Amino acid sequence: MLAIEVERLRKQFKVQKNREGLKGALLDLFKREYTEVTAVKDISFRIPQGEICGYIGENGAGKSTTIKMLTGILVPTSGKILVNGYVPYKDRETFVQGIGVVFGQRSQLWWDIGVIESFRLLRKVYRVDERDFKRRLDELVETLQLGDLLNRPVRKLSLGQRMRCELVAALLHNPSILFLDEPTIGLDIVVKTEIREFLKRLNREHGTTILLTTHDLQDIEALCSRVIMLDDGNIIYDGSLEELKSRWSKGREVQFQFSDPVSLQALSALTAGQGVRWTKENEMTAKVWIPREMNVSDVLSRVVGAMEISDIKIFETNTDEIVREIYRTGGSEKTAEAENGEALPAMAGADSRD
Amino acid sequence: MKIGYTLSLFREYLANYIKTKMTYRADFWVEVVSDLMFSAMNLVFIFVVFQHTPSLGDWSQAEVVFVYGYFMIPYGIFGAFVNLWNFSERYIVKGEMDRVLTRPAGSLSQVLLENVDPPSLIGSLVGLGIMGAAWARLGLPLDWYDPLVLIVMVAGSVLIYMGIYIALAAISFYSDAPTGIVPLMFNIQNYGRYPIQIYNKGIRFLLTWVLPFAFVGVYPAAFFLERHHHLLMAWLTPVMGAIFAAIGLAVWNHGVKRYRGAGS
Repeated sequence: MLAIEVERLRKQFKVQKNREGLKGALLDLFKREYTEVTAVKDISFRIPQGEICGYIGENGAGKSTTIKMLTGILVPTSGKILVNGYVPYKDRETFVQGIGVVFGQRSQLWWDIGVIESFRLLRKVYRVDERDFKRRLDELVETLQLGDLLNRPVRKLSLGQRMRCELVAALLHNPSILFLDEPTIGLDIVVKTEIREFLKRLNREHGTTILLTTHDLQDIEALCSRVIMLDDGNIIYDGSLEELKSRWSKGREVQFQFSDPVSLQALSALTAGQGVRWTKENEMTAKVWIPREMNVSDVLSRVVGAMEISDIKIFETNTDEIVREIYRTGGSEKTAEAENGEALPAMAGADSRD
Repeated sequence: MKIGYTLSLFREYLANYIKTKMTYRADFWVEVVSDLMFSAMNLVFIFVVFQHTPSLGDWSQAEVVFVYGYFMIPYGIFGAFVNLWNFSERYIVKGEMDRVLTRPAGSLSQVLLENVDPPSLIGSLVGLGIMGAAWARLGLPLDWYDPLVLIVMVAGSVLIYMGIYIALAAISFYSDAPTGIVPLMFNIQNYGRYPIQIYNKGIRFLLTWVLPFAFVGVYPAAFFLERHHHLLMAWLTPVMGAIFAAIGLAVWNHGVKRYRGAGS
């Protein structure tokens, strides 16, 4: 069954135009001018139950607007949404009973009272049975190690502690879909890892469908089986992370450290006909770029057989690189064209050397 | 069913309110004292006016004080349960409405519950006391139905206030910064607690039919005053209350659909 079904979803905002200067301000007073901004442009996607889906895109790409429509906060301009079998904005009060929402930048919790008091209140709001609540809370507190935090007021918690409490608050009513808007923003690496592990476990053990937006692609790599990439209100990629990588990564680079000085011509001669490109770093070091579809070992065997080598490093393009490149060129279609012209310089910073 | 649920939430929110206030006890008392000072100032104003003139229109000092005492009762209740003064800033500009809308309870009830302000009720008690004292001074008879009528009248007055201010808060859903309206409204509302007969026709019409603040003061209070008894206007109070509460709710419900969130 589908957890989320979205068809030709569109959201337009009217934005006030502020005219310049005093005269403009006076004119605005009497006759406002508006411009229509389309934040989400007829997007369609389906997410089956139990999937962890990453929703990525630059700031202002329309991620949060989509999430807000999916959670029933905003009413779409046009299009069809079905989440958990409900139209979010229509049956809002029944619908939200089945979803959990965490906004990384905003708190669900009462600021001045102990965390546990917030949880108790949410239990009432979501009409969770006392026994279920206890069991669920114990489980969450144990997995997220919150034991000694429960009685502290939220304002005295660190961001990492608060974030873990937010997760508990969003999950107390055992929702089948969890929406996370930048859940790891501003957190240190330890807490990030903890939260990722927790989400994975949640998905595995309870089958919770998770949709998260993030700017941290490591979240995506650690969690998501599927990525939806948004740019300027349009979906520019929807598929697995693996495919994203293989489709847009531009090959690998191998760096050789030779024992003796080498020349580019000599190296190019070695690999003639393989379609690889050599660049020289210094007297004894050179890099070779190998296209994706080619075997690294084919190139290696030719070089190793002919030269004395002291060290080899292989660079894989990492997701950050790929995504940055896609953002920069503004979409998948254009990336293919860009490839020929500027593939090599973009590779220079790639360094996932393990 | 739904009302029972909201009432049970009310208890929870109130408990949280109390727990919060326990941590800021000084704040609580400052609020109570400043509320009372505000009312005392208004009362002093009435006394000062009557030192210069024996009557306003044909209203005596005790009668004006009686009306003011009545006004304090619905006003205190309204202040305790409809505390929307910073709604636009907190819920629209800062986007806290997002959170409210992701919870399975009515959006308006949540906003009202999150902002309950029980100390305001002390004002109602003081108002009741003032009304009682004026009652005795005017030597009015106390019929068996008077307390019941008072409850109905107060309920009507509270609903009028609620309706107007909820509609006003809901304007933030439509316009970006309606900051000027609330102070204006606050000024107009203050006219309602003095005998309406002392104003000119235009203001009388405004206070009766457009922004019916006169129903939170002089009209319902006059029910109990023998000299100014006007049955029709008094019994219009609950009717106007129902109408304006309905308008307020409608504006809110329509406005929530236009909510657009804040930030990214």
